[in-house]
Amino acid sequence: MSYARESRALDDELLAVIARWRAGRTLTDGDFDDLALRIFAYQLRYNAPFAQYAASLGYSSRALPASWQAIPPVPAAAFKEATLATFDPATSVLAFETSGTTRGVGGRHYFDTAALYDAALLAGFDAGLRRDGARLRYANFVPNPAERPQSSLGYMMARVSSQFGDGETGWYLRGDELLVDAFVRDAYAACADRQPVCIATTAFALLHLVEALAARGIALQLPPGSRVMETGGFKGRTRSVARAELYAAATDRLGVAPDAIRAEYGMTELTSQYYDADGSLPIERRRKVAPPWLRTRVVGPDGTTLPDGTVGALVHVDLANRGSCVAIATDDLGVRFDDGLVLIGRDAGASLRGCSLDAEDLLPR
Amino acid sequence: MPLVQHPVGRIVAAVADAAERWRDADFPPRVRALARIVERTGYAGEVVEYALDRLFQPLTRDALTDAITSELGRLEVLDRFVARDRLPALRAVPIGRVCVISSRTTIGVGLWPALFAICAKCSVVVKDREDALIAAFFATLADELDAIGDALVAMRWEGAAGSVDLHAFDAVVAFGSDAGIASIGRALAPTARFIAHPGSLSAGYLEADAAFERGAAAALAESIARDVLLYDTEGCLSLGLLFIERGGALAPQQWAHELAGAFARVTIEFPPGAHDPAARARVAQARDAATVRASGGSGAVFSDPGANALIVLDPPKRLPPALLPRTLEIHAVDAPSEVAEYLAAHRLRLQALATVTARADVTAMGIDAGATRIAAFGALQAPALGDRHGGRPRIADFVRWVTRDA
Repeated sequence: MSYARESRALDDELLAVIARWRAGRTLTDGDFDDLALRIFAYQLRYNAPFAQYAASLGYSSRALPASWQAIPPVPAAAFKEATLATFDPATSVLAFETSGTTRGVGGRHYFDTAALYDAALLAGFDAGLRRDGARLRYANFVPNPAERPQSSLGYMMARVSSQFGDGETGWYLRGDELLVDAFVRDAYAACADRQPVCIATTAFALLHLVEALAARGIALQLPPGSRVMETGGFKGRTRSVARAELYAAATDRLGVAPDAIRAEYGMTELTSQYYDADGSLPIERRRKVAPPWLRTRVVGPDGTTLPDGTVGALVHVDLANRGSCVAIATDDLGVRFDDGLVLIGRDAGASLRGCSLDAEDLLPR
Repeated sequence: MPLVQHPVGRIVAAVADAAERWRDADFPPRVRALARIVERTGYAGEVVEYALDRLFQPLTRDALTDAITSELGRLEVLDRFVARDRLPALRAVPIGRVCVISSRTTIGVGLWPALFAICAKCSVVVKDREDALIAAFFATLADELDAIGDALVAMRWEGAAGSVDLHAFDAVVAFGSDAGIASIGRALAPTARFIAHPGSLSAGYLEADAAFERGAAAALAESIARDVLLYDTEGCLSLGLLFIERGGALAPQQWAHELAGAFARVTIEFPPGAHDPAARARVAQARDAATVRASGGSGAVFSDPGANALIVLDPPKRLPPALLPRTLEIHAVDAPSEVAEYLAAHRLRLQALATVTARADVTAMGIDAGATRIAAFGALQAPALGDRHGGRPRIADFVRWVTRDA
């Protein structure tokens, strides 16, 4: 089978998984395992750096792992070191730059089709933020793809806004500047229209927004049904506040209900995202859940899976990463529970001792 | 009698005598402080024991006197006007109130500046850490000389200033991140002296022309390993970056092997501390990324499954150093100019440079890169009392000169 036919066949299977999930059917353990191992085998054939890495760990097409948990994960940092794609990057239709906040240099995640990426992100967003099916007005404090097409977060919110929005999408981040006055004007217009708003923002931008509103003495009362998608933490930032404090301030200044603020967790090296499962819980008790084609192990430094309830680094197996690496090891910390994942430690970041990050990087992904 | 009326010799003696008591590993306050430091920092007990030895051993009467006279000329200048040939008489009076703000990691880093400020007869406030090491030593010092107890305060507070009014100090010594240093600087009176020690890193340069006798490579590798592993590579004098000049007796790859062995041996002496999971995860991530590179034929990596230590040979020069716990990045170079290019490209400023021979062009490179100390491998983390940490004097910043020609 040619690369194109093989890729299309896998994509068709994955798209079917996504469609079935939207229809209420999940992916069985056996099906996940089977698909993950087939995607890994495919990537060994077409992704040379991944195959070399796997070979150095004893895996090859003739020596495949026994289960999805044993797939050797590529460290997310490796995207900065090598072109990790199953195809010629020159033919990519999407290319997102990974964060450079920890060591100042970014990498790239390439995609040879937008269909799988779009289907995964829209299904995930629907389940995480739009279970009521509401048509919202999107206020995006994330990079505008027109200005920064390499931002996966910007792309995601452009697709969400276009698919699920009311046609009045606003972008309020220009370079490093928050367009607070433009947002306030548009927020008042949404209030007048009684149009619920979805604010998509990094935690860092949300902090700046609520501080700017406070400085102006503005406390908005966004229409009922309005919500906030917060993402990104404060990784690599010189300032941070506790998430509970940030959410309380956002509730006060935006007039959204506390349970309408939900965190999204994603990374450029993945295709799929985690979302807070239940916004009504106190922040410290909230769990993050993923769609069934994304599974996560919590591991120790030696890569072995830790028992539930133990803090460790996250290793994601994202089947939608068909064109790159299906298993990604991160230095994000988390704890697994029966009902989901608690993400911790991302705010701490990997700061450089001995030299500082000179500029505040507003864009975590 | 207030401190300013005591002869400096008496103050120096009190400091030296208190330090002598703390040099005793069984001195109860030290034993208690050690336990608290281990709990706070997570460092292994052996490491903290070593750190306390390094902190108190140099504080002898002779070494203190030498350090002071090397900067001020004569000890008595702190007590009275001292006549000089064909020059006005000179006296060094205390600058006033001094605040010392120590950083989180380095054990007792604020102590030496505080003691030199006391020798200058200043009143001193020190930001202590949760282990209260400095407060405990001050208590011993107060036993030696009551007036010192009245002039010294060690206290804890949150953030750069907390409830302390930094504007009220005549001199402030601060160790910390660039952001923390900037924040402190904004809080000072315009007339205050600001002795800032911002974040910096130390590197090593292994010259190709360094002569080695049989077996000396292993010993040198252990010295290098000690500079890396002591304090889990967290201090500004820790070695996180090593440049090996090509053309030497051992190739960089061979040195990396030699160092891997030395890391294992030195780890027995300086075992890893209780790293937080985030640090371990970052080291594991760096290890695995280096493994990806190595599997593609670029560089090499030496580590262990638990990510307790990591040596990376030839990481991409476009990346700044990882500066992770117990991690050494090695770059093979042909000349010191390549080091200068690397440091400039990443806007890195050196605190110290370790070398074997201190060859002229290597020393010049270190100086150009901001280093204030050129040291031998193995001694990087053991600056002398008479050293000029961060390029600053030990005591001269705490005095105001007065001349008298009447």
